[in-house]
Amino acid sequence: MRSLTEWESKALLGDVPRPREALTRTRAEAVAFAASVGGPVVAKASGIVHKTEHHGVRVGADVAAVWDQLAALGDGTVLVAERLHGELELIAGGVRDPQFGPIVSIGLGGVAAEVLQDVAFLLAPTARGELDSAIARLRSAPLFDGHRGRPPVDRGQLQRILDAIGGLLVGDPDVVEVDVNPVLVAGGCPFVVDALVVRAR
Amino acid sequence: MEAIFEPRSVAVYGASRDERKLGHVLLRNVTTGGFGGRVVAVNPGAAEVLGLPAVPALEEPVDLALVSVPAAAAQAAVADAARAGCRAAIVLASGFGETGEAGRAVEQRLAALAGEAGMRLVGPNCMGVVSRHGDGWLNGSYFWRLPEPTPRNPHPRVPPAERGGWSPAISWGPRERPGGVSLVSQSGAFGGMFFAEARRRGLGVARFLSVGNCADVTESDALEWLAGDGATAVVGLFVEAFQDGRRFVAAAERCEKPVVVLKAGKGRAGARAAASHTGSLAGRHGAARAAFARAGVVEADTADDFFDALQALAALPRAGRCVAVLTISGGPAVLAADAAERLGLRLPPPGPATVRLVRELAPPFAAAGNPIDLTPQCPPEGFPPAIAAVFDDPAFDGVLVVNCGLDVPEFGRGVAAAARRTGKPVAAFVLDVPAVEAELAAAGIPVLGSPERAAAAYAAVATR
Repeated sequence: MRSLTEWESKALLGDVPRPREALTRTRAEAVAFAASVGGPVVAKASGIVHKTEHHGVRVGADVAAVWDQLAALGDGTVLVAERLHGELELIAGGVRDPQFGPIVSIGLGGVAAEVLQDVAFLLAPTARGELDSAIARLRSAPLFDGHRGRPPVDRGQLQRILDAIGGLLVGDPDVVEVDVNPVLVAGGCPFVVDALVVRAR
Repeated sequence: MEAIFEPRSVAVYGASRDERKLGHVLLRNVTTGGFGGRVVAVNPGAAEVLGLPAVPALEEPVDLALVSVPAAAAQAAVADAARAGCRAAIVLASGFGETGEAGRAVEQRLAALAGEAGMRLVGPNCMGVVSRHGDGWLNGSYFWRLPEPTPRNPHPRVPPAERGGWSPAISWGPRERPGGVSLVSQSGAFGGMFFAEARRRGLGVARFLSVGNCADVTESDALEWLAGDGATAVVGLFVEAFQDGRRFVAAAERCEKPVVVLKAGKGRAGARAAASHTGSLAGRHGAARAAFARAGVVEADTADDFFDALQALAALPRAGRCVAVLTISGGPAVLAADAAERLGLRLPPPGPATVRLVRELAPPFAAAGNPIDLTPQCPPEGFPPAIAAVFDDPAFDGVLVVNCGLDVPEFGRGVAAAARRTGKPVAAFVLDVPAVEAELAAAGIPVLGSPERAAAAYAAVATR
């Protein structure tokens, strides 16, 4: 089993909504990219699993000050991304089931996700209408429809993320599991903020 | 597959003279169950068994060979059946793939032997087949007690107008019972539960196949055949592990009859270690749930739910989700209403015409909302017209009936007549009301074990 880096994983997912981000190989490169973003950024160590637990994620940090530390923690590169403010955290993913083959999932993310386990599964590739009925089965379904005046989650973009995950599993038998966690919904659009692809080899 | 469910001739390998041997039980079941075709006993050590001349090997082919010999002798029996040109064989013997790698290899050889001869193979490690044959059973199983055979196709069903749109003819005679339930099971013992429940509930059984280790014939093969079987109206599946999950999904999607699935082994115990969050959330059942949603099958969570759903689907047409809870018993009816809402059914208020009639016929303290509580103080002659008004109300696709202890025949007659006339599905919970229960039973209305189970049975026939 081999876990790909966040950058490699996101590259495999292809054209899905992501924050503006860059994999930086030097501190100078990182500082220049952060300046081009213009606002607060997130700096993340690359090539280690469970980044957050290992203090490999620095939100709103001064990139120049943390770059060396994060590079040393990971594989020598640092992922710098625009810091998004979202109204809802989701979790998406995919896995290869021994009986039913590739399946994808969508559900409520964030700290409550592990406790509530409010996640629906769909066979991949998904069929027309299945995403809507899967969301309708979730306890958190009202959050997807624009709760308390928030914009509803863009189902078309969500479908693209699930199609990308499903496509990876269907197209490459070596892909074992995919986590897209979190998917941050900002202004109704779901953004892939972190991703992990696990390959058999 | 036809040779498995509708053979014209059967051979029993291992047909023993010893009453304690399973091979003896099997031959006796075949000869006494009502099977009218040719039966051959295969036993190299006996001249006759149970009055049938026994042969050491088959001299001419039969449609179906039943193999009840020790595992070590099974290969020779299957080879003999294949050589003779049998169309199908069921290996009831145990001691194959379920015991480990060596057993799995033997099992694969059995399947290969059959495959080369163009013979289908069921099992090994199974309980056999039970199938309607004329007015009786082909009992090619070890099961000791089967339900009474119901008249063939007691409810001629009109072809579905659309997918899932089965509707039974609503002219049930007093002696007729819901029929056409078929079960495919990966567990033999679960078959025993099925026959016991069918007897207890008066369900008409069409076919039963125990697929065991599925060396050749799988649950999907059986489902595909039952989908086109004239005697089958509803298919139940008990599954521990799908042999080819996607094929099952495709078969269930194509099957126009209702399919109910009970899947064992959903727990976290034994789930494989997952490297990702998604993998651990999916556990052992996430994929099956996704598959059932795609396949459009009814998933039962428990054995009780499974048999309740089969009973309801065998008796009732598919209908919409708006129900009236019709009662004379306040508390239990509220339990039924609560359960209905939890299950995604809707309980709209009755229309003004219904409210007006209930106000006219029932006491002033009767409740004309939903539940509609006519109260035990409603005069007996008031029940039929009030009940008819509820059934006729276009707000309702169907009705849940709850009656604890008011054994007024007019209540039962009112429900039975309105159900027959309108064709709307009804599920009931009744308590200590033999006269009412007899009226409901005669109308083919399923009576369930609790208010909540009546609601769940209705939910099984409600279209999504």
